[in-house]
Amino acid sequence: MELFTNKEIDINTLPKVEDLELTPISPKYIYIIVANILFTYGILCLAIVFINVIAEDKSFSNTFWYILAVLITLCIFTLIINYLGFKKRKYAMRDYDITFSKGFLVNKTLTLPYNRIQHIEIKRTFLARKLGLATLKIYTAGESGGDMTVSGLPKDIADKQYGFLTKMINERV
Amino acid sequence: MSAFNFEIPSRQSAKGIIVIFGISVYKVVKATIVFIAAFVLKILSSDKPLNIGHPIVLLIIFSIPLVFIVIAVLRYLNFKFYVKGDYFFLRKGILNKEEISVSKDKIQNVYIKQNVLQQLINVVSLSIETAGDDKTEIEIVALVKPKAEALKTLLLAGVKPKNVNNQLDEKTETAIYFKASVKRLFLEGISENHFKSFVLIFAFIIGIYNDAKEFVSELEVTTGVKSWFALDNESLMAMLLFNLSILIILLVFSLLLSMIRMFVQNFNLTVKRKKEGLEISKGLLNKISLNLNASRIQNTMASTNKLKRSLGLYKLAFTQAMANKRQQLKFNIVALSQLQLNELILQFYPRVFDNLVKHKPHKYFLKRLIAVHAIIFIVFNCCFLVLPQWAFLMNVPLLIYMIYNIVYTYKKAYYHIDEDYIVVGSGMLIETHTSFLEVKKVQAVILQQTIFQKNHGVATLEICSASRPLKIKHIELNRALKIKNYLLYKVEYENKNWM
Repeated sequence: MELFTNKEIDINTLPKVEDLELTPISPKYIYIIVANILFTYGILCLAIVFINVIAEDKSFSNTFWYILAVLITLCIFTLIINYLGFKKRKYAMRDYDITFSKGFLVNKTLTLPYNRIQHIEIKRTFLARKLGLATLKIYTAGESGGDMTVSGLPKDIADKQYGFLTKMINERV
Repeated sequence: MSAFNFEIPSRQSAKGIIVIFGISVYKVVKATIVFIAAFVLKILSSDKPLNIGHPIVLLIIFSIPLVFIVIAVLRYLNFKFYVKGDYFFLRKGILNKEEISVSKDKIQNVYIKQNVLQQLINVVSLSIETAGDDKTEIEIVALVKPKAEALKTLLLAGVKPKNVNNQLDEKTETAIYFKASVKRLFLEGISENHFKSFVLIFAFIIGIYNDAKEFVSELEVTTGVKSWFALDNESLMAMLLFNLSILIILLVFSLLLSMIRMFVQNFNLTVKRKKEGLEISKGLLNKISLNLNASRIQNTMASTNKLKRSLGLYKLAFTQAMANKRQQLKFNIVALSQLQLNELILQFYPRVFDNLVKHKPHKYFLKRLIAVHAIIFIVFNCCFLVLPQWAFLMNVPLLIYMIYNIVYTYKKAYYHIDEDYIVVGSGMLIETHTSFLEVKKVQAVILQQTIFQKNHGVATLEICSASRPLKIKHIELNRALKIKNYLLYKVEYENKNWM
């Protein structure tokens, strides 16, 4: 059973995405991930504590500890998953496309050919600026799916890639 | 050339004042309905009755419509459009002047629509969709139909199709290829999958059942119904029959609802085949006519269900690049026969069926289906535990349904890839879908692997186009990688234009 009918090219001689040497993103990015998670759960915990303090109904204080325990367990769980997922955040650039892979429970490897790029942008949040990191966003046409967000790149690398891709797009037409 | 000169800046038809007035009143009323209702309620419940004859009240009552009319007239006077060279120009705005210019080759689509008000005064609206941002709204709300048609032809003349696969002569261009008869629409409405909407309504009713029971008994309808069945008030049979009648009423209700929807949306559905694509017009309250351009089509999905297949009814749904969600719904053609369906598919995907090889997904897909169904089965049985014992009898139909569902879902799943096309088949017990995508329209490829899939050496391939992505689920990792490499090679090496 042949997979493709085109005999002229041998599928096995095509460049392979799986052989790509993927580069991990900056290890500093883990701080941003942890900070974001702690911030989100911190606000939730604070809200619960606040409700407990002002609540007149004493029956709430019983459930309060359960909710807090669940929140903390969830927080630890999220941290572990994200730590494991962090190691999977890798990217690579070839002559004609860029690949970005991430995710622990669900691993996604997105490959985007340069000739389908619509526009690019660089985003730097407050924390990222402090750590010297940047996020590279690459947009394709249409609504969803094909857009790539590579966060946690060292700023100089992000700038270099931005310049390279911009040049590529401008030379295209 | 055409009888209309579009080079001189012109206003729309004077009837436009009525349409602008209607639209702005509708918008304001829709936005402030809560306040109006609250206000009316307050007046009605207040002790002293409103003095209608009072001069201030009269002034308010008469000035509001007057303001709307003045605004409508000003808007009409300040709205001018013209076509010069390759550009379409539009000037509008009373205080905030706005001038829009659109290059003809940036125009994605031109729609001709007609809502109820426009149907009454016999004008149409023409809206232009451009590539890029979907926020710029270019709509001329009142034009006489021949003028709108002439403008549409003029604007679309700039859009030259790049690959015309079929040689259609002038005759076929103007001839109606397909017109959905009332009978076929009726059948289409009846054969919709009511199961989903029925389950929703059913769950909702179960939720409010106790309240409803109280409410019904308060209304003393129950006694009426019960005596109607001539049964003992407290007997189980009466209760059962009562519930059954509710069920039947629900069924009829959901049937009626989807039939009405079908008619309103697809009334007078006509399809014309053109060189560059299709022209679809349809609608009862809101008439719409749109051109489907072959080069803009992304995914195409053919669907049917068990009942529809036996009635010979098929649906074809196109998605276009840049079209927003609401408009995407309108690219559907329902009530096609199998022959017409295949002809239309072949118009956009020539020779796609010639060497179609149906590759099956990995056996992991079957395992996963069984696992998911088993979980649902357990959840259901946990619910049965709190119910009386006979509830466990529900397991019999449930199991039969589940087994059939698993078998058919697996049976209907397949994929095919050749130099030009990607075809993916999917479906469940009742529905069957077939999706088509041209390889040159691929934007990016995602290889997705959950930890469960990893253990089985299986992956899901997500192929992104300029509209929604196409998924090939649960295939061997090796194959997925091969397909990904092949698609990337095609896109990067051949570098064909996707639009």
